[in-house]
Amino acid sequence: MRLSALRRAGVLGLNRRNARYLLPANDRARYPLVDDKLATKRLCSEAGIPVPRLYAVAREHHEVRDLPERLAGRGSFVLKPARGAMGNGIVVVAGREGEGFLRSGGRALGVDEFRYHAAGIISGLYSLAGHLDAAMVEQRLEVHPLLAELAEGGVPDVRVIVFRGVPVMAMTRLPTRRSSGRANLHQGALGAGIDLATGRIHHAVLGRSPATTHPDTGRRVVGAAIPAFERVLQIAVGATDRTGLGYVGADVVIDPELGPVILELNARPGLAIQLANRAGLRPRLEAVERLGDVELPLEERVRIGRELAALCGSDGAA
Amino acid sequence: MSRPAVATAALLVLFGLSVLAVKVGVYGLPLTPSDARGVWQVELRIHVRGDGRRGRVTATLPTSGAGQVVFDEASSSDRLVFSIRGEDDQRVGVWSGWLGGIHEIVYRFRVQTLPASTPERAPGDLAEVPPEVQQAYLPPTPSHPASDAAVQQQLDRFELPGPDEPMARARLLYSFVTHEIAQVPTAGDDALLTLARREGSALGEARLLVTLLRGLGIPARSVRGLALREGEAPGEEVWSEAWLEGRWVPMSTQRGFFGERPPDLVALGSGEREVVEASSVQAVGHRLRALRERLRPDEIATVMAPSNRVLAAFSLYGLPLGTQSVLRALLLLPLGALMVAIFRNGIGVPTYGTFMPVLIAFAIRDFSLPAGLGLVTVVLGIGVLGRLPLERLRLLLVPRLGVLLCLVVLTVTGIALVGRGFGNRELFAGVLFPIVILTMLIERVSITLAEEGVRIALARAVASVAVAVAIYPVFRSPLAEHLVFTFPELVVSTMGALVWIGGYTGYRVADLLRFRALAVSEGPAS
Repeated sequence: MRLSALRRAGVLGLNRRNARYLLPANDRARYPLVDDKLATKRLCSEAGIPVPRLYAVAREHHEVRDLPERLAGRGSFVLKPARGAMGNGIVVVAGREGEGFLRSGGRALGVDEFRYHAAGIISGLYSLAGHLDAAMVEQRLEVHPLLAELAEGGVPDVRVIVFRGVPVMAMTRLPTRRSSGRANLHQGALGAGIDLATGRIHHAVLGRSPATTHPDTGRRVVGAAIPAFERVLQIAVGATDRTGLGYVGADVVIDPELGPVILELNARPGLAIQLANRAGLRPRLEAVERLGDVELPLEERVRIGRELAALCGSDGAA
Repeated sequence: MSRPAVATAALLVLFGLSVLAVKVGVYGLPLTPSDARGVWQVELRIHVRGDGRRGRVTATLPTSGAGQVVFDEASSSDRLVFSIRGEDDQRVGVWSGWLGGIHEIVYRFRVQTLPASTPERAPGDLAEVPPEVQQAYLPPTPSHPASDAAVQQQLDRFELPGPDEPMARARLLYSFVTHEIAQVPTAGDDALLTLARREGSALGEARLLVTLLRGLGIPARSVRGLALREGEAPGEEVWSEAWLEGRWVPMSTQRGFFGERPPDLVALGSGEREVVEASSVQAVGHRLRALRERLRPDEIATVMAPSNRVLAAFSLYGLPLGTQSVLRALLLLPLGALMVAIFRNGIGVPTYGTFMPVLIAFAIRDFSLPAGLGLVTVVLGIGVLGRLPLERLRLLLVPRLGVLLCLVVLTVTGIALVGRGFGNRELFAGVLFPIVILTMLIERVSITLAEEGVRIALARAVASVAVAVAIYPVFRSPLAEHLVFTFPELVVSTMGALVWIGGYTGYRVADLLRFRALAVSEGPAS
């Protein structure tokens, strides 16, 4: 029976994620810290955790008018809603063309269009509950040379699930032509599970079907190593520690210049990471629960996470 | 799920159900809605003049049976003795005594006509005709001369279906009388004359049909009854019945029905008896009156309020009518919420908004399903198409939504003007508001459209509408409305069910599909 097969595999379902992990572990009052990327950015900067540089913020409609002027001298940047979800409303500007801008992918973006998009962001078009939002412009991160040949037309990120300060699962989301440069699995990006113990990709899925190579470049993905992976896990855990949230998905981008930086945190991380890793989350989460409430230093917790992953593997046995 | 959650859920469900049980079991509130309209009061007024001798007046009285329930019989007999007798399978009211001068007899009853239900019968029963039916309704009689040579000759001329298809045979005879015999009110009542002259009165046709049926070995009888009409005196009518497939199948060449009796007909008794007959009287006459009764709201309130001071105080039937109709709709919403919870947490259908499906179902509740879905499609179409030119104007979000709202309001107004011809205008106006609320759906759909593509936007819209369609019959069901309005404690039970679903941490059906790869790839683990 499929039900018991899923349970044996330790797959975490949506109901259980919400009732057993999100509700008890994540205090609603702390959600704004992660839902608002500006707040997350401030939080991380205070703790010395690297984040993309912030170029400009527009909170009110009148601030949109001079937004392009405030970006004078910046060749590339990213315009995004501070409270956006699932990558909605993000515009990546890769260069300039006359008065206007050039989007990554080559489409032109007029100054008026740019302002209109920013105004839409402020109106709450892309925010989680349609609330008023802020438009933020930040540094456009580059693709790390070691990952460049694994991604097409966009910057891959590493999603780390951190539960009670312990990293339990990670994947990297590799943009494809079909995802038009975005790192969202449901938009066609390649989801590659990372073995926490070795820091190497050990499994990948495109949609729901397993894949070993990138659909556009044909490069073999499985087996590739993630650069600075220990550091990736450390800043993911460090940033999560600052939020006070118990169950977080941390999105880390590995910039060739800055190294791993926190892109954003997510208090409702999705479950597709299980598909990318061909492993269920439950054994690992329950193992972390069994550790109890002992206070451990960050490095120790990262080590425990990597060992747990090796123990649990992908066969579901705890 | 946690133990307190289970306990809370059980407690809430039990509370609601036990209050309901007390109301039903102890105070006898009905679990199904009763029709407040289908009741007729029929009055038969007989004038009889006698010269002082002993005499009697008889009237055929109706019985409860297929298609009708008779109750509240009453008679005022004006110095005569009233008794009810059975005379060859017929209920007869008899008023007897010394008839001196004019007597006015009044007999009243109330009757509720019901759609006749066809009882399910095993095929083996079909051929079985109860002996009493066979004895009473098969042999030839003076008014049904089934063995007459003319009748047999006529039957021989038909190309009849086989004897194993009595229903088809009966239908053929019915068609013959309908089409080949002219109905002339002044023509004779005799079956043979009707057959010979190819014309007859309603009674003549009914008798001929019965005669032909009996000639084929199908038990048959004629029935006299009343056609009830609002604001008019009821008309007396005669029709026929044949014993087919284990029941009396009504048919009337006068009215043109076969199998289903129209709900305005009430059977009084045998077609061979006049409604009123009298012996040893100088003159007799009768008049019929019928009145369609509707229970007044206060009568309904009396019927529906439990005879317990505390429970009666909570009865919603005592509220002003306007409040009642609002509450009737409002109390259904929790059921909609429950269904959305099942669809989302149990199955994992991705819908727009948490209660958008409830809203859609609510909006189309007063329309037929195709009309309602059409309206939703029109509203959505306007919204999504209207967005395209608006996009070019580069408007801010709130004013843009406002423009969309204006468009939707204008459309709905247009629909109201076009649809003026159909039905009640006020009703139509009342249900338009939720349609306007659907404007919110437009924004959701168009954002998804822009951000995640046509496929996902469409899939989610279809899922929302599908869940709404699943909720729709519940919102339309008179039974559900009656239950939640008569037993509002069911909302507490619904709350319990929601608590139970809220504590459900098992997989959704969608999880099973989504992570199917993980389940298949695993062998049995230790």
